[in-house]
Amino acid sequence: MAKLVLPAGLLVLLLLGGPMLLMLRYSFNEYDPLYIMQQAFTFENYAKAVVDPYYQKILMTTITVALTCTVLTTLLAYGPAYWLARMESRWKSKLTILTMFPLLVGGVVRSAGYLALLSTTGLINATLLGLGIISAPLTLLYTPGAVIFATVGIVLPYMILTLASVIESIPRQVEDAAANLGARPATAFFRVLVPLSLPGVLAGASLVFILCMNAYATPLLLGGPQFQMMAPAVYEQFAKASNWPFGAALAFILLMVTVILTTVGSSVIAKRYKAG
Amino acid sequence: MPNLTRRSFLATAVALSAVSVFPKNLMAQTNDVVVGTWGGTFGDLLKVNVDEAVMQPAGYNILQEISGPVPRRTKLISERMQRRGSMDAALLADFDMYAAAKVGAVEKLDAANVPNYDNILPFLKKAHSVPLIYSAHTIVYRKDLITTPPQSIAELWNPKYKGKIGLSDFLYTSNMAYAAIHNGGTLSDFDGSEKGVAAWKELDAKLLPSTEAVGQALASGDIWITIISAARGYSWSKSGIDLGWVVPEEGAFPAVYEAAVPKNARNPEGGMAYMNALLEPSVQKAFAEKMGYLPTVKNGHISPELEEKIGFSKAEQNRLWQPDFDFILENQAKLLDTWNRVLKG
Repeated sequence: MAKLVLPAGLLVLLLLGGPMLLMLRYSFNEYDPLYIMQQAFTFENYAKAVVDPYYQKILMTTITVALTCTVLTTLLAYGPAYWLARMESRWKSKLTILTMFPLLVGGVVRSAGYLALLSTTGLINATLLGLGIISAPLTLLYTPGAVIFATVGIVLPYMILTLASVIESIPRQVEDAAANLGARPATAFFRVLVPLSLPGVLAGASLVFILCMNAYATPLLLGGPQFQMMAPAVYEQFAKASNWPFGAALAFILLMVTVILTTVGSSVIAKRYKAG
Repeated sequence: MPNLTRRSFLATAVALSAVSVFPKNLMAQTNDVVVGTWGGTFGDLLKVNVDEAVMQPAGYNILQEISGPVPRRTKLISERMQRRGSMDAALLADFDMYAAAKVGAVEKLDAANVPNYDNILPFLKKAHSVPLIYSAHTIVYRKDLITTPPQSIAELWNPKYKGKIGLSDFLYTSNMAYAAIHNGGTLSDFDGSEKGVAAWKELDAKLLPSTEAVGQALASGDIWITIISAARGYSWSKSGIDLGWVVPEEGAFPAVYEAAVPKNARNPEGGMAYMNALLEPSVQKAFAEKMGYLPTVKNGHISPELEEKIGFSKAEQNRLWQPDFDFILENQAKLLDTWNRVLKG
């Protein structure tokens, strides 16, 4: 059976592990303005990224946005996921496909669509101005709100589909039993359904959190240059400053923080619910 | 009749077709010229006016490799030790080309390998590259909103325009050069640039993520004044925005786009032919008419009406700065860091 894992494992090792090891090595090199980098073994790039308040702020913004989007997505997705999971209509498969529909359009294209929606001359402002609700266009673009709004829109299908598949596996009789024993709908929801669907919530939240931590196109296009998140900052070091060692160090810090927060967050929430 | 089995028939057929196909493919590969360039309007103009009009009739097949300028420069520098590079011609801004030439990544050019080389305007002539087009990062402003044309760089810090000054994030080097000159610095030290950038922040200058965003902000009236190439000013004004552009009395940062042949090009002959094609008057005219960039060759004549709109007078041309590329190269990461910290921190 283990042999079945071999082709996929080798592919991941070759196409993911190899380049990552190479980048890890780069992160210890020294920056050279002319030759991009010089072979060295220094922790200077990591020290700069960790100690510097400018990069600390970028990391904190990234974590805050990712957490906000994860919480909002979970709250927004639970209802539709429950509805989809419990549906017995012939439309169920079509609605599931419809939920996946936004995933067929790339993140960059969707962000470009949001640009048209949120700009000063965009659809929202034009409508509000047309209806006489506002007299001057609202600043919707290049704001943290725009990034959070668009990111939630992008990651919502992942959460809905993950949650729906888990809720579907919870027998409906469990909810009926809770109701029979006198539990109000809210009590049944929080004391029965949520704990049972927790694996789905954690899986979906982890997936969404990882996607948000590494968001690139949305913060870049909708947040504007003054809104800084880690993935665009990494790209900027590679593609604008030609500082590969520092860019590689930033990339590994992002990776480590994402892994730690996802692992710790999942285990803390799981423990708390088990204890409750 | 020899005994021809099905297997030997198939083998013979495959071998014969291989003989007929291979030389053709090899020939096609020999005539392929891989050109590293920008896409969009720039790439389209090259395709129509260089690739299809000049290179294809001469028997070359052009393959555009579209990417951003820094990755292209990085590729030139990192591939320089390899026997064969991935490009036969590379187009870059003058500063990026300077870096590639400095590490010896590109071929030396002269009239012997590029016949049109002698037509290049003297102030744009370089040993390792040919200039395709040029303009300058000037002050571009909304004529209907700023009725007195700005004459001095100081206008970019005029409190009257608080909240209406636009800055292209992409042009941080030019913007910081302006800030340095305004605060008594030079292009060899950029002293005072940080002070100038901080003053822009105080004036609520709008930082815009791309050149296109600058155009949109000018069109919507979100910004009234900015630093961007006169060529852009011209092309946006063609789309109906009431724009003017001036080379301030203190001067302006030149914007030159160049091309070179990597030393390890697979098809150096094709690369040289491409350099020559870029200097053809028809190509120069097409870029001037469509994008508003000026011809770089003596025989690149454009109509007097167009010259009037996009050209620089002798006095303006003399005021264009001579950037210290060594300083910029050495301090590029530091300049970007300062720019980011002051405006985004």
